[in-house]
Amino acid sequence: MKPTIEDGLRALREASELAKDIRIELTDEYLRLIAAVEAMPQNQSGAEKGSRWLGDRRSVDLREVGHFVARRS
Amino acid sequence: MTHPLTPLARALAARSGRYVLIGVSGANLYGPVGQAIFVTNDFDFFLPLDPENLERVWNACDDAGLELWLNAEPLDRPRDRWLAERIIDRRAATRATGSNELAVDLTPVMAGFDFDTVWQEHRDFVIEGVTIPVARLLHIVTSKHAAGRDKDRLFLATHREALEQLLKKIDTD
Repeated sequence: MKPTIEDGLRALREASELAKDIRIELTDEYLRLIAAVEAMPQNQSGAEKGSRWLGDRRSVDLREVGHFVARRS
Repeated sequence: MTHPLTPLARALAARSGRYVLIGVSGANLYGPVGQAIFVTNDFDFFLPLDPENLERVWNACDDAGLELWLNAEPLDRPRDRWLAERIIDRRAATRATGSNELAVDLTPVMAGFDFDTVWQEHRDFVIEGVTIPVARLLHIVTSKHAAGRDKDRLFLATHREALEQLLKKIDTD
């Protein structure tokens, strides 16, 4: 069944409620991951990112983030 | 599909407007080509505390056919140095909107950072032949951690795992 606007709003409300309890720390491991991604050749100045926009429509949105967090908690 | 930022980025380059792309849309550009980590139609441009630059950025938005807003109201006219000085004094964000639900926040504030620090270490990424200055991923994530709003925590809750998946995929390819 196609989600309605109400479904979307409810999911956003749920996600916002969940967000209040989330505590994410910038651990050494997280910082190491960031450094590794920044060091990739495709993330250096001059890199062509022209196809990025096409991919945006295939990715997760905040409702899915809310569901993701719910599954983890 | 043309990237929604390119007309504005071209206009900004022509006007020598200074900005750095930050926020979720900036973080997305560090992901693998063809996949974004998070959906967003909002773009956040971090601007220096410089009224003259803000005036140039507003003019570039005009050139690109975007409408300018302050909170929920159209930005006053004339959009001159006097107005830009007051906006900068208040550290207020203005918003540019256009077709395809494009929304660009023009903000002189990035939690935990000043413009020069972010500018010194930014990356120049190229989209459809246009150079777009993007903040370091480290600066984007650190700022979101410092801001600590609900949406920032939701972002951080999944971003680390997304990076793990990305690096794992690269290792196995």
